[in-house]
Amino acid sequence: MWIIIKNELYSLYRNNALLAISIGFILALLLSILLGMVQAQNHTKSYEQAKNKLRKQWENIEGMNAHGAAHYGTYVFKPYDLLNSLDEGVNSVTGNVLKLEGHVQNEIVYSEASQMQFISKFGKLKSSLLLQYVLPLILIFLAFHSISSEKQSGRLKLLLLQEAKSLTIIWAKTLSVWLYGLALLTFTVSIYSLINLENISLDIGSRLLFFYLSYALFYFIISGLTVFFSAQYKNATVALTSMLGIWIVWTIFLPNIVMSSVEKWHDLPSRNEFQADMKEDRSKGLDGHNPLDERAKDLEAKTLEKYGVNDIADLPINFDGIRMQADEEYGNQVWDKHFGNLNNILAKQKQSYQLAGIFNPFISLKNASMGFAASDNYHHQNFLKQAENYRRRLIKALNDEHAYGGSKTGDWSWEPESDFYKSIPDYTYKPMSFSYSAPNYLIDISLLFIWSVLTSLFMFFGARKMEII
Amino acid sequence: MIKIENATKSFQGVNAIENLSLSIEKGEILGLLGANGAGKSTTINMLLGFIHPDSGSVFIDQMNVSEKTKEVRKLIGYIPENVNLYPYLSGIENLDYFCRLAGMKYEKRELEKFLITCGLQNNAFNNKVSTYSKGMRQKVGIAIAYAKKTKVYLLDEPASGLDPLASNELSILLKKLVAEGATILMASHDIFRVREVCDRIGILKKGNLVKEIRSRDVSANELENLYIEYMKN
Repeated sequence: MWIIIKNELYSLYRNNALLAISIGFILALLLSILLGMVQAQNHTKSYEQAKNKLRKQWENIEGMNAHGAAHYGTYVFKPYDLLNSLDEGVNSVTGNVLKLEGHVQNEIVYSEASQMQFISKFGKLKSSLLLQYVLPLILIFLAFHSISSEKQSGRLKLLLLQEAKSLTIIWAKTLSVWLYGLALLTFTVSIYSLINLENISLDIGSRLLFFYLSYALFYFIISGLTVFFSAQYKNATVALTSMLGIWIVWTIFLPNIVMSSVEKWHDLPSRNEFQADMKEDRSKGLDGHNPLDERAKDLEAKTLEKYGVNDIADLPINFDGIRMQADEEYGNQVWDKHFGNLNNILAKQKQSYQLAGIFNPFISLKNASMGFAASDNYHHQNFLKQAENYRRRLIKALNDEHAYGGSKTGDWSWEPESDFYKSIPDYTYKPMSFSYSAPNYLIDISLLFIWSVLTSLFMFFGARKMEII
Repeated sequence: MIKIENATKSFQGVNAIENLSLSIEKGEILGLLGANGAGKSTTINMLLGFIHPDSGSVFIDQMNVSEKTKEVRKLIGYIPENVNLYPYLSGIENLDYFCRLAGMKYEKRELEKFLITCGLQNNAFNNKVSTYSKGMRQKVGIAIAYAKKTKVYLLDEPASGLDPLASNELSILLKKLVAEGATILMASHDIFRVREVCDRIGILKKGNLVKEIRSRDVSANELENLYIEYMKN
């Protein structure tokens, strides 16, 4: 088989048009990686600058009580993951700045898409675009006539008479096209690794490895199926049309149809509906800014009882802080309930979408690619979750300072020392470890494996049914 | 060496060959004459094992082709009308590639010898096949079969499109192969060339072997008249 593969690779090497395409592809890939990295560096630089500036402001808050500082809030920035230049996933549309403040959970803003010039909203040069759409097309164009040209030229008979088996020929043709795809993929991943050599940890290395594996499997499926069609049809054009048809269905129609169906099966509430429900639930709870609120009165009674005093003015602490925190905690419960439901629906949508990989390996590739590049919605939700946890700790610390820091109830002019603000740690996002996130993509990688086995079976039966004449 | 017994093969209800029987002894050349669609290529494809007869049997070296296709193919060399080699490889590289496929690894010197035996000029060995004429490609094709130590050569319209010189060189080469013990079946339209090269000639018409004669028994003109007569009837 290796003799045929070697000859096929040599024929690819001798193909000037392919050489030009390969050089163009490599240059585009290099450009996309470099652009992605420049973008990542710029993002990280602005992120660090803004972070430092905000921290300085935070540590020097003046003329504000602790709860006022909770309203003043702070901003957290979604860091740019090292792997995002390979596949930026949902990051360009999800935003990267989140304001954290008391009482409310804000939405993340300033997505790249919202900042783009109109013209660039149509799409920009991305590694994922090249690896997911352009390279498979090149593989299809390389493989569609691999067997049919041998049939048409009569060389297939000569090959078979030289004791080459049909299956061996099909495998060799597939593997040579696949190796070409792998070479470009290896080049991409190697360049990326070299540029980021000092930042590559075991975690990033593992992600890269699985990222590579996902694409390698997908390219095998594309190469194998195209060669299969080439073996089935005498006319290379029919083989090309068949495979292009499948490619269009896989990349354009099925993902959209599946996503629309999944959204219908697992319906998300509308934005207005969701906010109205949240507001309604929130209104049933304690209002921290209204001392006359019924629930606030209950809490006051319990607090007086706890401290063994009859009047709020006799409390050794500032009850306003306790009330604000109670309000906060109720708000948190409401948020957990509604966003919990939302996250459950999102998780179901993701799972159903992943299962669609049974019919479309491209869906599995996209999921795996974004997942291993840490740029899918699952990783985004993890950022939001960590930010929300930090917000809760921050607001609680501020309300506790307001309550127990030394002021009395009703004293809104009391201000904490600046050391207090300095003592509150800054937000640090801990990237999700590969071992923690990987099981989410097990289904995608398994489906790509199954598709590869199926492709091998197609090749096997294709060889048996291949018409020589 | 080659034996076809009452073979019939039809495609979509139409008989391509019908009850065909013929035999070729070792060291003999049989020429099959016939118009397009007479069944010449079908006969060759049956001998190659790419199609199997609906009824009857095909034997090469006493092995049933349908049953022992793999073993039979080791003995066969096939030279189609157009020997399409890999254009980006040179003649010697093509030969080396096809030999390696058959599990034979030759030194460059040996490969050159095969090409010389088959009439390719030394200065063409290392040129890309894309620069070769049809006759030169045919010589490499025969060299591939020769290097494989083929016992049976099946040639499908080998002289078609060759200039007179190349055609003559082909005749000489085929005679040389027969002298070395090869058995050859040559399907052709070229009455003159068939008569010149072959020991026996069969005329195929609509899948039937309508006439079988020895070459030495007829002149070129007689053969032509005979062929036309059979084609008309």
